Amino acid sequence: MRACQTHVSRIFDRSLLRTWFQLSAACLLLIFMAGAGDTAARYKLLGHQLMCTCGCGQVLLECNHVGCTVSTQEEAELRNALARGDSDQLVLQGFVQKYGPTVLAAPPQSGFNLVAWIAPGLVFLLAMLGTALLIRKWKLHPVAMPPEMAADPHTDAVLAKIRKETEL
Amino acid sequence: MTILACAALLIGIFLYVFYPQSKTEEQTQKTRLEFLRERKDAIYENLRDLNFEYRAGKYPEEDYLAQRAGMENEAAQILAEIEFLEAGTHAA
Amino acid sequence: MARWLGDNRQGRTGAMAAFGSFAILLGLVLCAYNFLVGAIALRQIAVHPQASFGPERLAESARRAGIGSFIALSAAAFALIYCAFTNDFSVSYILHHSNRALPWPYKFAALWSGQEGSLLLWAWLLAAYGFVLRVRHKVDVKLTAYASTILAAVQVFFTLLIVFPAPPFALTQGAVPADGFGLNPLLQYPEMVIHPPMLYLGYVGFSVPFAFALGALMMRYPGEKWIHITRRWTMVTWLFLTCGIFLGMHWAYAVLGWGGYWGWDPVENASLMPWLTGTAFLHSVMMQEKRGMMKSWNVWLIFTTFMLSILGTLLTRSGLVSSVHAFAESSIGTWFWVFLLIVLSVCLFTYILQRDHLQSEHKLESLISRESSFLFNNLVLLAACFTVLWGTLFPIISEYVEGSKVTVGPPFYNRVAVPIGIFLLFLTGIGPILAWRSTSFKSVQRNFLWPCIAGVVAALVLMAAGMRPWQDMGTLYSLMTFSLAALVVTAVGSEFWRGARVIQRHTGKNMLFSLVQLTRRNTRRYGGHLVHIGVVIVFVGLAGSAFNQSNEQEMGFHDSMTIGQYRLVCQSYTQDSNANYDSEYELLNVYKNGKFLAQMAPERRFYHASQQTETMVANHSTLERDLYVVYEGRNQDTNQPIIKVILNPLVAWIWIGVAVMAFGTLLALVPNMSAEQAARPRKPAEEEVPLPAGVGD
Repeated sequence: MRACQTHVSRIFDRSLLRTWFQLSAACLLLIFMAGAGDTAARYKLLGHQLMCTCGCGQVLLECNHVGCTVSTQEEAELRNALARGDSDQLVLQGFVQKYGPTVLAAPPQSGFNLVAWIAPGLVFLLAMLGTALLIRKWKLHPVAMPPEMAADPHTDAVLAKIRKETEL
Repeated sequence: MTILACAALLIGIFLYVFYPQSKTEEQTQKTRLEFLRERKDAIYENLRDLNFEYRAGKYPEEDYLAQRAGMENEAAQILAEIEFLEAGTHAA
Repeated sequence: MARWLGDNRQGRTGAMAAFGSFAILLGLVLCAYNFLVGAIALRQIAVHPQASFGPERLAESARRAGIGSFIALSAAAFALIYCAFTNDFSVSYILHHSNRALPWPYKFAALWSGQEGSLLLWAWLLAAYGFVLRVRHKVDVKLTAYASTILAAVQVFFTLLIVFPAPPFALTQGAVPADGFGLNPLLQYPEMVIHPPMLYLGYVGFSVPFAFALGALMMRYPGEKWIHITRRWTMVTWLFLTCGIFLGMHWAYAVLGWGGYWGWDPVENASLMPWLTGTAFLHSVMMQEKRGMMKSWNVWLIFTTFMLSILGTLLTRSGLVSSVHAFAESSIGTWFWVFLLIVLSVCLFTYILQRDHLQSEHKLESLISRESSFLFNNLVLLAACFTVLWGTLFPIISEYVEGSKVTVGPPFYNRVAVPIGIFLLFLTGIGPILAWRSTSFKSVQRNFLWPCIAGVVAALVLMAAGMRPWQDMGTLYSLMTFSLAALVVTAVGSEFWRGARVIQRHTGKNMLFSLVQLTRRNTRRYGGHLVHIGVVIVFVGLAGSAFNQSNEQEMGFHDSMTIGQYRLVCQSYTQDSNANYDSEYELLNVYKNGKFLAQMAPERRFYHASQQTETMVANHSTLERDLYVVYEGRNQDTNQPIIKVILNPLVAWIWIGVAVMAFGTLLALVPNMSAEQAARPRKPAEEEVPLPAGVGD
């Protein structure tokens, strides 16, 4: 039984490793492709990383505010920047300089704003750790079960009654 | 008209709230016996669940027997206490 | 205060407003009476248990005052709707949220389309829940008395709001205009008539389990029956909140015209947070009910859920975070802060005082058990809730620390929350397979084999069909979702199958009969399984968003556009006008693979009363995908319409999934058919504590 368990857990580990490997490969690919993507794809990608600043609270390319002049202007600027051949970083920086940091749809991953990205994962990990410790504590100090009933005819009768009443 | 409507609402509710009651529901503290009966029902429910899941093939036999024994033991303790308390109330 | 009681300058038109104001004041007095006198009575009963008849009569009058508060607030709500229907613009609220040409269902909706009205609705719904609770007090007189008193305190707060900072019957200053400013056109949509009340029913409903939990803790209620009593309340509330959230999503999708349904806006987040903790509560409470575990945890979960529903309201109404549908900025935030602080202090104080009452009777016996899967489910739901709360509050934190605001928008949540959602989906699948207490490795093997095979096969089939998960994160997540969906459906399906087989062997009837019997025997469990199937379907619908396509183009007469398998050809574009709005629209013939499919008419409206423009989306929805067409406006140079087309795969499944979830929840509310009770000898009558219909099952 135990051997079987360790064997399976090893398989589990291996498959987990493989998943991790695939995940990181996918991430790497994503990064490379983001660099080499054509303008339309970059426009779509960057346009979804920016907000419309008219106060509608929508992502730039999803702003459907009728007659919104702000988003049309921002879109034009984005197109121009891409046509100039600016890098993604430069484009975003340009927008931040012009419209302030709120134009980015998500906080940048640097400085204090890094906290925004780390905190959820950290809290999740801490909670996991807490739960693990709690389970450990429970296992070490189990709640005492009621002592076994002495085997006598009365107890047997009670047990039989219970069994009968809880049948399917 | 407005005053009439307001007055009707006020008087109606006032009467409803303060109309002398012939009898009110008693706020009784839950007795140990009631508590035990609830516990018994909960354990019975768990036992039925266990039996059902065993028949559905969710437990290997040794797990099932061990768990059933534990729960039946717990139920027996509670039944014994219920019996004891009931005997006490009947005697009194 | 003068404007409050409705000075008679307005003559007869102000009459209903005066009546409404009076009814609200009366409601306030009544729930204050319920709270104060109820508390005094409970105190007396607690201190002198053997005392005379007095405190119980006092408690009874408090209960009746609580019932009276519902009648009073109903009168107030009626008065406001009456004002809307009679176009009584002397009431400032009606002036700002209605107009003469408004169709009647929307006049009804005026009750909740602004700050004051929606707070009145809130107070009224709270009173309505309280009414049901107080009428059914015989379930447990003492516990209900505690819960009723706590609920009355919450009622006092919300009624105070509509007496002081946000009176719905405030009169229009100066001359009364001949027509109102109209209802926000965004809200002139059929679903808007039911979405807000549903959502509020959800928010408000959590007050009831909260009141019971706090009451049970205050009185050191022995046993777990309070959970049994509140179970239906919690499930009904959860159902309302779920429907409210999804109706909101559908409304956003059908009306806002940006092609999506969830924008991670603070108001949306505010509704999601109590939903997440409420869902956690619904699950973990089962551990307390069945095994006497996690008592402190559950108490805090419901406290948190209640406080989050208040916090959500605070966030959206105080102007603290910017949002698409935030209410006008007002002083109301301070009131909410104070209330939240009081609630937190009371909860903390009661908990510290009574925490020894919450000792667990059992502890976790094995890591591989239903209990631990619930534990992890709770953990993940709470992590999701924290993420949403964190994302919503981070702009404020950042402004405080860095001095400049940042935006926390969809890219953040997609990155952080989507993996959590996928993990949750995974737990949905394995939870039901695991047995209570402990599951041995052998049974894990036995029970997990088929679901895992299903998951792997689904992934392989999808990759063979052309899904490339290594291409981008979206596709990877989608593939994971589809694969897990197959796993969960197989797991839940095998639960039904195996259960039904047992019944079949027992009764000798056919499979269909056995399935029905199985469900009727334990409606909560099998209804719950159906809810999980619904969740899976919703996830499948959400995963479709990774494959959205869109195209935007100027489309004059006979111009055409191709997207995916579809070709759209402009037949005509024209203008129209009626009393409520002017409109512009374009008629498009849609062909799929060269065959005529349908005619669509995306539209743009200009509402006269509110002077606002609104798009009317044309959507051709099939199970496979939605063809979503928006009239964006006209090109000012060429005067030709600009049309945006979005292809949204699988969206229809989201709405189907919600319907399944709702059906499952309703099923879980049906009392169990007691096969075992028929077999079990009835106990002598004197032992039976009769329960009112619908309480015990």
